[in-house]
Amino acid sequence: MIVVGMADYAVTRSPDKLTTLGLGSCVGIALYDPVAKIGGLIHIMLPTIENARFTDNCAKFADSGIPIVIQEMVSIGAVRRRLVAKIAGGAKMFSFNSDVNLNIGERNIQATKIVLTEMKIPLIAEDVGKNYGRTVVLDTDTGVYHIKSAIKGENLI
Amino acid sequence: MVYDISKLTDFHYSALKEISNIGIGNAVTSLAEMMGSEIKIMTPSLKVARIEKVTEFSGGADKLVSGVLMELAGGVNGYMVILLPPESAQLICNTMTKKEYSDITDPMNESLISEVGHILGSTYITAFSDFLKVDVFASAPFHTYDMIGAIMDNILIHMSQEVEHAIILDTLFTLKGNDMHGKLLTLFDPISLELILKHVDAMFC
Repeated sequence: MIVVGMADYAVTRSPDKLTTLGLGSCVGIALYDPVAKIGGLIHIMLPTIENARFTDNCAKFADSGIPIVIQEMVSIGAVRRRLVAKIAGGAKMFSFNSDVNLNIGERNIQATKIVLTEMKIPLIAEDVGKNYGRTVVLDTDTGVYHIKSAIKGENLI
Repeated sequence: MVYDISKLTDFHYSALKEISNIGIGNAVTSLAEMMGSEIKIMTPSLKVARIEKVTEFSGGADKLVSGVLMELAGGVNGYMVILLPPESAQLICNTMTKKEYSDITDPMNESLISEVGHILGSTYITAFSDFLKVDVFASAPFHTYDMIGAIMDNILIHMSQEVEHAIILDTLFTLKGNDMHGKLLTLFDPISLELILKHVDAMFC
C-alpha cells in the first residue's frame, strides 16, 4: 500500500494499492489504465496554480497536478487514451462566517472536472461533496476505488 | 528585524512554549473545574512545518476525533483546533449530562463539545493575548466528528493561499482519574508569528 500525502501523488502498477487519508475539502483523483493495470492517485488542495503565491509544488493544484500524474503513468507504460478517472472528496466540512473562498471543496471538484474534460479523460465515477471526510484506496488490479468514511461507511466505485 | 521562521532561536522556541504553557494551564483548569478532576499537562511542543505536512504531525490523517475549530483574528491571525479522541469526548458528555452513554454525534452533545472547546480555546487565547498585550479574538466554535485530515485540510487550504509554513503549538492534556486527554493546536501564519516574536523580544531583551 503506497500512501499519498496531502498535495502529493504516486503512480504504480498492479497489484499495488494507492491510498490517501482523510480527504476533507481536498480531492483525491484516481486515474487508471484498465489494460496495463497502471494507476495513479493525486491529493489536490486547490483548484488552480494560476495566481497562486507559492507554486513550487505542482501536486497541490488540480490543473498543474493531474497532467504530471498522466505523464508519469504514460512513462511506465500506460496508454493515455485508455485512461479513466474516478474522484472523491471535496466536502464542505465547516461553514465559516468569514469564509471568503466560499466552499473550496466544491471549487476543487469543479476544477478537477474541467481539467479532466480538457484532457479528454472520462470521469466514470465520483463520490464527492457533502460534509464528511473520506479515506480512499485505489486497487490497481481491479480499478476499484474504495471510499471509507466515518459516518457513511464504505462505498466502492 | 526579520524573523526566519525556519531558523527560530532556542530563546524564541522556549518563549513560545512558555506562553503556550500559561495559556493551556488556564484553559485546562477551567475544564477541570467543569469536570471536577485533576489535570496533567505535557510540555507543549512547537513545530514549524510546511502546510502539507501538518496533518502528519496531528496524529494521523485518518484517525477519528471530535474536533472543535475556531478562527483567530485581531492582532494575530490563525486557527485553533482542539482534538479529542471519541472516548474523551464521550466522557465529557457523560460527565456533563450525568448519563452513562452519550452519542457524540447527537446534536445536543455536539453543541456541548463545541462549548467545552470554546471555553478551552477562549481561556487559552485570552491568556496568550494578555501576556503579549495583543488583542486576539476567537470566532464561534465549529464542531465536527470526523477524520483528523478532513477536519484540518480546510484550515490548511485557507492558510496555504497566504503562507507556506504553519507554526503549530501542540499541547497534550490529560485529566487524571478520568483518563481523558486531548490536543490543542494553534496555527499561526508567519506574519503573526513575527509579531509575537517582536513582543517577546521587547519584553525580555
